[in-house]
Order: sequence, then C-alpha cells, then structure tokens
Amino acid sequence: MIIGEISAVWEHADLTERTIEHLWMFSVALVIAVILGVTIGIVLYRHRSWAEPALNGLNALETFPDMALLILLIPIAGIGEVPTIIACIIYSLLPITRNTYTGLVSIRQEIVDTGTALGLTEREIVRKIRIPIALPMIAGGIRIAIVFTMGIVTLGGIIGAGGLGAPLQTGIMLIIPPLIITTGLWVGILAVILDGCAGIVEKRLTVRYGEW
Amino acid sequence: MVAPEVVIAATLQQVVLVYASLAVSIAVGIPLAVAALSSRTLERTIITFANLVQAIPTFAVVAIVVPLIGIGFWPAIFAIMLRALLPIVKNTWIGLSSVDPAAIDAAAGLGLTHWQTTRYIRFPHAYPAMFAGIKFAAILANSVAILTAIIGSGGLGTLVFEGLAGINVTTMLAGALPAIGIAIMLDVSFTRLEHRLTTGEQGRQTSTTPS
Repeated sequence: MIIGEISAVWEHADLTERTIEHLWMFSVALVIAVILGVTIGIVLYRHRSWAEPALNGLNALETFPDMALLILLIPIAGIGEVPTIIACIIYSLLPITRNTYTGLVSIRQEIVDTGTALGLTEREIVRKIRIPIALPMIAGGIRIAIVFTMGIVTLGGIIGAGGLGAPLQTGIMLIIPPLIITTGLWVGILAVILDGCAGIVEKRLTVRYGEW
Repeated sequence: MVAPEVVIAATLQQVVLVYASLAVSIAVGIPLAVAALSSRTLERTIITFANLVQAIPTFAVVAIVVPLIGIGFWPAIFAIMLRALLPIVKNTWIGLSSVDPAAIDAAAGLGLTHWQTTRYIRFPHAYPAMFAGIKFAAILANSVAILTAIIGSGGLGTLVFEGLAGINVTTMLAGALPAIGIAIMLDVSFTRLEHRLTTGEQGRQTSTTPS
C-alpha cells in the first residue's frame, strides 16, 4: 500500500524527470567547480603570496547564507538553472581550492629533494610528485563540494531551476505530506549515496597515495 | 520600496532564530559529545548518524519537518538544530577525545573521578575545537534560518520569499543583504570570543602551574 502511494506520487510529480534535471545541474556544477578549484589551487601554489588573500576571500564568501547568494545572483544571472549552477560553483571553490593548495604545499621536503636529485624539473615535480601525493586531500575537498552542491541544487527549486527542490516547494506550499516525504527522503538517499561513493574514492586514494 | 522598520523587525527575528536554535543545539550537542566518550558503540552511532544527516540537503530537512511536526517557529528551530548539531557534536567530540592519554593517566593517578577528568582535563583541552564548531554552527544557523521562512518561522527569509513571489528584486535584497551582514558579524564576533576564551584559558593554566 505504501509502495503504491509512493509510486502514485512519483508518477504524478514526474520525479524521474526531476531527478535527471537535478543530477544534470549537479554534474555540470561539480565538473566546473573541480576544474576551476584545482586550477586556482595550482596557481596559488605557484604564487604563494596570493594564497592568503584569495583563501580569505573565499572563506568570507562561504559565510554568506546560500539562499542570500542565490538572491544576489538573480539581478545578474536571472532565475533558473544558471544562477543555481553559479552559486554551487562559488560555494564549492573554497573546499577544492584550499585542499588542492594545502595538499601541494604540505609535502615532505625529502620527497621533493629526491625528485630534484633524480633530475626532475620543477614542473615535473609538480606533475609527478606533488599532485599525486595531494590527490587524497583534493578528493576530500571534492567530497565536501559534493555535499554543498547537492544542497544548493535542491535550493535551486525555489528560484525556478527545477530539479528535486521544485516538488519539495510545491509540497510545502500546497501542504501535500506524501509529496514532501517521498521527495525529501529521495533527495536524502541520493545525497547520502553520492557522499558515500565520494568517501570510498577518498579512502582508496589515501590507501594508494597517502603513505609517503 | 521596503519600509525600514519591516527590515529591522525581520532582522531582529532572524537574530532570535539564530541564537535560540544555537542555544538548543549547544544544549543538545555538548551532552551528546560527552556521552560519546563513554562507550564505543554510542560513539559510532552518534558520529555516523551526525555524518549522515550532514549529507542531506538543508531544504529536504526543512521540508520533512513539516509533515512530522508542522509549521511555525518551533518546527523551524528544530530544523535549524538538526543542521547546527553536527559541527558542535563532532568538534566537541574531537576536542574531548584527542587529549594526550598521558594526561588522562596522570589525572587518574591523582585520584580524579571520570567526571572530574572530563571537566578539568578534557574540556579545557577541547575549548578551541568546540568554539570553532559553535562558530560554524552559528553561521549555518543563519543560513538555514532564511530558508525556514518557507515554513513560517519569520525572519529575513520572509522578505526573500515575498520578493520572489512578487518578482521584486528590492524586497529580495532587503532580506538577503542584512542576512549577509549578520553572517559577517557572527563570523567576526565568534572569532574574537574564541580568541579571548582560549587565550584566557591558557593564561589560567600557566598561572596555576607551580614554578
């Protein structure tokens, strides 16, 4: 009976479609955030003096309430998917950039010296030594970003981005408990699964690259 | 145009929401962290559960509260608390459990009971981590408190949602900008408080050390 009710709600609210929208926004935002975050992390590693102001700035952005950030983006980017994805990226930059930078910087000097002794250039040391050793840290940052992105994509439903936040909002506005519970639990399960997968990847990388 | 007194009233409501939920979270979170010290199973259950809840999107937490306990101020406080609890529990627990075992042994050797050890050895050691957790929770509470306006908590989110419904950017910003102001104030004031309390604690410790 419960399963019947859930599938009725599912059909009616078109949750398959909403889930695809949701995961689409999530993936686009995460891919861009990872590319940008890792790049900025590497740039900050090259120019150490920029690191502190840049990380402080990102830290300050991070204290902004996510809803307020979405609202600030409306006059600039309108409503819908675009401001939602931009907000996800802004929020995810700090954990990814900070972890990339910290991972690259906090490597034991002996390992770098060994690389130099083997005749590696500075660029090769970054690519073949620093980045692999930083991978577990970077993965940790991406895992935090996954949780943030999932949260903000869900909020996007409020500013017309679709995804699973939209049926949640409908449920609250029209007070439809079955819709709220089905969608809410489904979003929760999706988020926990994604976080769990990221956790497994992080652990594998730590086992592989963490014992230096 | 939004009347200034409306914005001020909403800001005050927002501050009340943040501090009320923060107080409840601290009152629930610190005992949970202390309880986690007493048994391995309890520790695992509390930390696993807290981590799981953390991964769930805020909007889903706020929404699920509605069919469970309804709408209004208290359901909102409950939703915010669910969010703010994890950083407090986790940081306090990390602080309490990362004490040097030698210090615990020394305390036992001096004849301190379990509670005395927790109170005089573990807690002073845990303060910096604990305050970092509370600061993070306060900022999180401010962010969730905007969203809970959708379930009738009042606060700055009311203006945000009013603006969204009427497609009125001024009203939206009248809600969003003070919320950002509160976030920055919370960050600065808690950082200062943290600084003062932790350095004060260290000062007291050194002053009681016989020379």
